[in-house]
Amino acid sequence: MAFSSRILTSWRDGWRRVAAAPAVAAGVFALTLLLALPLAMVLRGALTSQLGSSLVAGRVADGVDYDWWQEFSAQATGLGTTFSPSILGFAATLDNVSGVLDGRAEPAPVAWALALYLAGWMFLSGGIVDRYARQRPTRTHGFFAACGVYGFRFLRLAIVAGLFYWWLFAFVHPWLFDTQYVNLTRGLGVERIAFLWRVAFYSAFGALLVLANLVFDYTKVRIVVEDRRSVVGALVAAVRFIRRRPRQALGLYALNSLVFVALLALWALVAPGARGAGFSMWAGLVVAQLYILARLLLKLQFMASQTALFQANLAHAAYTAAPVPVWPESAAAETIAR
Amino acid sequence: MKFLIAAISCICALVFIGTDPSVFGQEPGTIQSVPLLDNSGPQVPLGTEAPPVTNHPPGWLSPRNANYEIDARLDHDAKTIRGRETIRWRNISGQPTAELQFHLYWNAWRDADSTWLRERRVSGLDPEPRVDGWASMDVISVRVKDAAGDWQDLTAQMRFIAPDDGNGLDRTVMTVPLGREVGPEATVEAELQWNATIPRPFARTGWVGDYYFVAQWFPKLGVLEEGGWNTHQFHAATEFYSDFGVYDVRLTVPRGFVVGASGRETSRTDNGDGTATHAYHGEDIHDLAWTASPNFIELTQRFEHPRLPSVDMRLLLQKERRSQADRYFAITAATLKRYGEWFGPYPYGHLTIVDPAFESQSDGMEYPTLITGRGRWLSPPSVQTPEMTTAHEAGHQWWYGMVATNEAEHAWMDEGINTYATARVIDEVFTPNHVELRYFGGFIPWAFPDLPLSRLDNDRLAGYRLNAEADAPWTTTLRYWPGSSTAITYYKTALWLHTLERRLGWPMMQRILATYFEKWKFRHPKPTDFFDVVREVSGQGHVVFFDEAYRSSNTFDYGVQAFRSDRQGENAYRTTVVVQRLGEAVFPVDVVTTFEDRTEVNETWDGRDRRVIFAYERPAKAVSVQVDPDRVLLLDVAYSNNSRTLTPRGNEASLKWSLTWLVWLQDLMLTYGFFV
Repeated sequence: MAFSSRILTSWRDGWRRVAAAPAVAAGVFALTLLLALPLAMVLRGALTSQLGSSLVAGRVADGVDYDWWQEFSAQATGLGTTFSPSILGFAATLDNVSGVLDGRAEPAPVAWALALYLAGWMFLSGGIVDRYARQRPTRTHGFFAACGVYGFRFLRLAIVAGLFYWWLFAFVHPWLFDTQYVNLTRGLGVERIAFLWRVAFYSAFGALLVLANLVFDYTKVRIVVEDRRSVVGALVAAVRFIRRRPRQALGLYALNSLVFVALLALWALVAPGARGAGFSMWAGLVVAQLYILARLLLKLQFMASQTALFQANLAHAAYTAAPVPVWPESAAAETIAR
Repeated sequence: MKFLIAAISCICALVFIGTDPSVFGQEPGTIQSVPLLDNSGPQVPLGTEAPPVTNHPPGWLSPRNANYEIDARLDHDAKTIRGRETIRWRNISGQPTAELQFHLYWNAWRDADSTWLRERRVSGLDPEPRVDGWASMDVISVRVKDAAGDWQDLTAQMRFIAPDDGNGLDRTVMTVPLGREVGPEATVEAELQWNATIPRPFARTGWVGDYYFVAQWFPKLGVLEEGGWNTHQFHAATEFYSDFGVYDVRLTVPRGFVVGASGRETSRTDNGDGTATHAYHGEDIHDLAWTASPNFIELTQRFEHPRLPSVDMRLLLQKERRSQADRYFAITAATLKRYGEWFGPYPYGHLTIVDPAFESQSDGMEYPTLITGRGRWLSPPSVQTPEMTTAHEAGHQWWYGMVATNEAEHAWMDEGINTYATARVIDEVFTPNHVELRYFGGFIPWAFPDLPLSRLDNDRLAGYRLNAEADAPWTTTLRYWPGSSTAITYYKTALWLHTLERRLGWPMMQRILATYFEKWKFRHPKPTDFFDVVREVSGQGHVVFFDEAYRSSNTFDYGVQAFRSDRQGENAYRTTVVVQRLGEAVFPVDVVTTFEDRTEVNETWDGRDRRVIFAYERPAKAVSVQVDPDRVLLLDVAYSNNSRTLTPRGNEASLKWSLTWLVWLQDLMLTYGFFV
């Protein structure tokens, strides 16, 4: 009972902390939009060039012309190869989750954008956890100072995490899905059973990902809240924290995941399909951006609620070991500032 | 985003949704009668003008010159077949022969040196089989009756030959010298015994679990033609060719197995030793395939039509796809109806439809009076599984089953014509149907209601476009590049036939095909026979078109190079249109220019020059120009460049679609955001 109460308290506390820092949400939304926009503009150029001033463009503007779509795909390279029906509505989400779970490689331009995006999150994570841990405004300079202070530590953590995830996808995933799964199902005449095997393998692989993710999440929290300099030390401490409170850590994770499922279900219902140009296009875009924002808020909620849970277990709800970082700290910069 | 637990839940939720009959419109559990008679289509005269060419005894539909009596025993544990066959073969060619040639198809998967596997390897297709995946067919005795009626053992004389590529390690063709000549209309009786190891599925043949699909499984005679034996090795991109006959087959399998085979089951005997023998009899067929599994659900329905023979449809269905029974029956009945009305009646009275087991790779294959469909456990009602494949394979009963072309040399004559006709069937009876993509290892389907499939999509223009220049269709099929042969054999043929239909109209096209069917059913036509019928019925040779579409690998692509309309004075505009031939192939096209006053000017261009310029002095400004506005030329690989407008909307369209893509990319970023 106590643990479920702590989970709920931390979960509610997490949402409160996310709501109290709207600038953080706005910032990560801007990051998500601004990194995606240039690529969208590149694709737009390719589409414009292919459509030219043809009459087909009118049909494509008003709805969908699948024949044109296939014609475009036939000559597409790079980004254009991702322009498939999977971009429509909820299929986009299915495609992306499925792509990750099935270990799909993305084309180079998209892969670079993803790398930049993850680097952006890595840099901002220190500031975000710090802001949620302090539960009071740190202002822009305080936020980015925290990003700077924890940036190098998080970079080291990213290397460790990256190596681990790489190991999972480069070795464990092929072993599970290309060897074991294939061996188990190549003699199966019943698709339903093969599917159950597939789900079992997804579950096993997903469990590894979730556990790793949980450890890395609490490592970040411990680095920031306890001002730990040693990433390895923080990793060990994170494992210790989860091991001692597995039901709390996993319960909170599961609760947040349930919200994610609910969000996806809602998105499946309202996701706009192929619209016409004009008002319906903009309305659809707004709905889609609200969904993107909701997912971002949920990601922030994971961070905030995990920070809250950790702090609650310390008996100091807003405890942070480090003082508010001051930036810039160098004498030269201060001189310039005067 | 922390999505993984959630994702698993999502998959499960989708599965739940997928099995909900209210979602997919299938009522599981019971099989209900479906309307077999769909009389909504156009009523066209049945049959044809040309009289059938037959010298057969009454009751025979075909020459019946290659007749087989086969006894085969399946060893379920060892995955082997032991067989004995007696062949009565009559030489219906005009020349004598001193040998018999046999196909031993399963030796294509005996080792990595077979021509089949070499070609697959070179073209980057299937990897080699695993250790337990190899197959074999070993003939252990050959006896032939001599002129005096005594059996002569010719086992020592048999040897492998490689008439196509000289590959001395290929064992898919065997010759048996007879030691005497067999003249025209003379008959030979031969008896062969063989042992075979059943492959793990290869080329839609083999076993998985306790499901067997057994095709090309017995030593089968080649076809003696005027130029000698036509017995090609088994190639990576080819299928089969054989003479018509009567098949009497006794299949001994474990008791409890449901068996389906070409022909009709005539008896079923419990042997008392844990096995049962199923006897099948098929007449006027040129091959026999069979399937066996204890897990089939066996269902039957009858196709009835006021002007066509009834057909007993027997469906052997996987249990997990019980809810799809009605879909299988409905599309099979619709195909029997349409093909029967369009081309000629299906005379056998029975058709077995096999719903293949998962991972059996035996889906989408045709054999005389037996076909395999393609089913998936989850299949929304508006997607083409199992309808498209089932219609196609049922249609093969006409184009392959009865009009028995040489698939090793001219596969387009069955696959291409049938793809064209299947697309027409689907367009008439199964619309709307939608694009479907599959996720999570291919298990979870997603139908796109925004993307209805058209007949053009089912002609597979997109697939052709990607390999338009891969091969010229007139090239012998076994010489096609295996990786792209489908694009030429199936898609290009369907597209040029559909183009011809748009030129001549469907009534004429239907008459052409019905005449061709009637004239060549139960025979082996060559390409010239088809073109002769086209000329004979339509009154035109279409030589230029066939030169471009059939005898070359050139592509068609017409486009608008320039388009302007300039004001020349009060109510006077000078409009200039430059139309270009971008591809090498030539086809006459219409060029339609539309003006603001809603008038149109239609020019017909023979399409030969690289470009043509049309200039107009008119009181109204031009609005748009279109080359081939009715889209007669379906082989045009780039239709987007066929038009130009002076009020372009390209920016609008590209903005809309790039914003849609933007959301996909953002979603992808957030999905990867899980990792930080």
